[in-house]
Amino acid sequence: MDSQQAIDYVLALARENHLRDVDLLLGREESMTVRVLNGRVEKVDQSTDLGLGIRVVSEGRTGLAYTERLEQTAIEKAVLAARENALLLDPTEVVLNTEIPDVPAPGTLNLFEPELESLAFDDLAAFALEMESTAKKSDKRVTAVPYASVGKSRGSYRVVSTRGMDYTQEQNSVGAYCGALLEENGLRKTGSHHWSARVWDPGQSGKLGRKAVELGAAVLGAEKIAGAAMPIVLDEYCAPQLLGMYLGAFYAEAAQKGQSRLKGRLGEQIAKPELTLTDDPHRKGAQGSRYLDPEGTPTQPLNLIEEGRFTNFLYHVESARKEGRASTGHAGRGFSGGISTRTHNVVLATGAHSLDELCAIPERCLLVTDLEGAAGCNPLSGDISIGVQGFLVEGGKRVHPVDSVTIAGNFFELLKQIEARGNIYQPNLTSTFIPALLVEGLVVSS
Amino acid sequence: MLPESTVNRILELGLSRGAEFAEVFCEESDSSNVELLDRKIDSINNGNSFGVGVRLLLGDNAYYGYSSDASEEALLELTENLAHSLKEGRPGHLHYPEKKPVTDRHPVSIDPSSVPKTERLDLLRQIDAIAREHGDAVRQVRASISEKKRNVLICNSEGLWVEDSRQYSRLGISTIAEKDSGPQAAAESPGVLGGYEFFQGLDVKTLAGNTAASAIRMAEAGYIDGGMMPVVLGNGFGGVIFHEACGHPLETEAIRKNASPFTGKIGEAVAQPLLTAIDDGTMANRWGSLNVDDEGHPPQRTVLIENGILKSYLSDRIGAGQVGVARTGSARRESYKFAPVSRMRNTYIDRGPHSMEEMIASVDFGLYAKKMGGGSVDPATGEFNFAVQEGYAIRKGKIAEPVRGATLIGKGFEVLPLISMIGDDLELAAGMCGASSGWVPTTVGQPTIKIDRILVGGR
Repeated sequence: MDSQQAIDYVLALARENHLRDVDLLLGREESMTVRVLNGRVEKVDQSTDLGLGIRVVSEGRTGLAYTERLEQTAIEKAVLAARENALLLDPTEVVLNTEIPDVPAPGTLNLFEPELESLAFDDLAAFALEMESTAKKSDKRVTAVPYASVGKSRGSYRVVSTRGMDYTQEQNSVGAYCGALLEENGLRKTGSHHWSARVWDPGQSGKLGRKAVELGAAVLGAEKIAGAAMPIVLDEYCAPQLLGMYLGAFYAEAAQKGQSRLKGRLGEQIAKPELTLTDDPHRKGAQGSRYLDPEGTPTQPLNLIEEGRFTNFLYHVESARKEGRASTGHAGRGFSGGISTRTHNVVLATGAHSLDELCAIPERCLLVTDLEGAAGCNPLSGDISIGVQGFLVEGGKRVHPVDSVTIAGNFFELLKQIEARGNIYQPNLTSTFIPALLVEGLVVSS
Repeated sequence: MLPESTVNRILELGLSRGAEFAEVFCEESDSSNVELLDRKIDSINNGNSFGVGVRLLLGDNAYYGYSSDASEEALLELTENLAHSLKEGRPGHLHYPEKKPVTDRHPVSIDPSSVPKTERLDLLRQIDAIAREHGDAVRQVRASISEKKRNVLICNSEGLWVEDSRQYSRLGISTIAEKDSGPQAAAESPGVLGGYEFFQGLDVKTLAGNTAASAIRMAEAGYIDGGMMPVVLGNGFGGVIFHEACGHPLETEAIRKNASPFTGKIGEAVAQPLLTAIDDGTMANRWGSLNVDDEGHPPQRTVLIENGILKSYLSDRIGAGQVGVARTGSARRESYKFAPVSRMRNTYIDRGPHSMEEMIASVDFGLYAKKMGGGSVDPATGEFNFAVQEGYAIRKGKIAEPVRGATLIGKGFEVLPLISMIGDDLELAAGMCGASSGWVPTTVGQPTIKIDRILVGGR
């Protein structure tokens, strides 16, 4: 059956089984990815993902089930499993929204670009081949370009409930990734760079290939530096990556379950007064934008930190009702899971400085341009312990590349240690808008 | 799962359009997850996943597509789309698939569907109670039971038709404890390729108790002073470092792209003679084991390093062909949504001659990393980064105070020769490994080992 028939069938089963509160999420994603190796298209992936997630709410208990088969038997099995699961769950505070708000058409968020749909295999292959070729030619120390891929994707989700909700949102994008391996005097370094956008730009292929190699070449010959507490500049790629790992602390659900160190600290000064951190769900073209969350609650811009003070936790219906308040519209959901909390687009305003100017503020600092994994970053305690690569900077000049060092600190202390901000965000599609940051008080180990 | 006639038409179409090799992978999986959080049964979810992947190969090139619409019309259209990308090639000869039985090395004693869900809820509540017995410092307990049955059908144009059923069962426990210096979590997550008998045989009192005790010790711990130092790395999940830093670069997926420090090193000494490392896909009911790999090839016990000498890579069809080695039955994928590539199965460093006491006694100042957390690696350069979940300082040959916030940083091929002592307390631990063919169950393992020097990130 097609998507509409599947949705109608779930609603019919709900009526037949006297289930008053049922909602469903139908997710669909199509993508094509082309990978090249040694001047030839090596791999082409084409995919269509489809899934139907069903949630049955009965006296506050929620039962979940999903299926990727849009067939009567599979859908019926899923509805009945969700009903059984609801009976077994301990009581919660979940209710379905009965008032369906009027929101602007999702198309006005500029998340879908029809022109991308006409991109064919040949366009993607030509881009990837040019990218790989440019990377190989741009430096004789390049020994391999093991990662050269380009892809396009289109995804949509539709949320429908027995209470009258019916909301669909669609987005698409193109993206490419280039990773080059360079070797000199027995030392190896990978340089990689990615690009994502909603406008097809074949000119990016050469730029991306060159940039990946430049980044790798810049850290060839990297050295350790002596461990010490020293100012750190996180560039505009690393800053959102690092801070983004700790945003779960702002979820009310986490605080209620003893998993956030911000519990009980509303109103406290947790950051410098210059710092305001906002969640903006209506930012045009941003990856996390939406007018309604998957529970049907309208979204709205909200300050998490306002002039350094912690002002808001993020709520979905259940966590809000536990505290007798309204949801802030921060529910998240995929077809295979239940309701969770999520941020939409986190925005920290840009500052006045270019990256070079930020690096020139302290006499000596470590500019971090690459984070190596996230395993040492503990969202619960806020502990940061992570391997990095970058550059030692003295008097505003890059002295030499640095590797084999870690930086350590704590997210909740770091919020009070942001001394200055960069004047741009990284240019790719994102839902974390955080510029480069100059941070005091982190410790470098080597 | 899929009519023979449909499979044959897909293979016929692929080969007639110029592919040298065509493959159909059909999968239906049923999963069940039950989770307890905050003293309550927080979530119960059942899932059904179904789809078909089609792969066409021409020379070294692979064309892969999948769809959850298993109608013959949709699958032929998918194959046609993939074939459109084949710019050259001549129609090949098709050997029609013939059904071949698969020996089940991993029996299921208790079918999970025969056990009421309420029994699982009782087990989770029991775990919560055991962990909380450790006192008020225990602030939160999360416990979960995850079960998944994957039925797969693998057919190819060389005449292969195999069907396999894989039942996975796993328990997760995470306990958060809090003292004056903030919260810390500790986790255990054992799993098997087997049935519900696994849960009935578990010593949950020890497992849950260990997470609580470990979280409390870490919540009381101070930070370690980072720097280069000797590290004694605990058994079991400590093997995650070998997995990430040496196992991934030994996969032909990295070797064939010249993106591994081990490229061309077969036969060379890469470690001290006391080190032997194995990747074994045949171990009965182990989490990373297989009856057949995801290309339908039988798995094997592969000796990767023997007495310090590099012996073998881990290979799939494409990797074996390009690197010029035999297939090791290591082709794996998370689901029909991924093309298979060479991946690890149950990977471990074998037993050695030393006792843990000898290793600790040999260190004047260093770190005892009793339990590792997660980590990551750049296979091309071997650079890795791992968190220590439970660590202790070693002072003058004795285990001293607990330390938190430690990270181990290094390059796999540089650290491997620095393993100077290996214990006799081999243990294996279940994990999930993520790479280009998705997340697959893998086992890591080792006895306690001593690394002479490694960078420890701290404060």
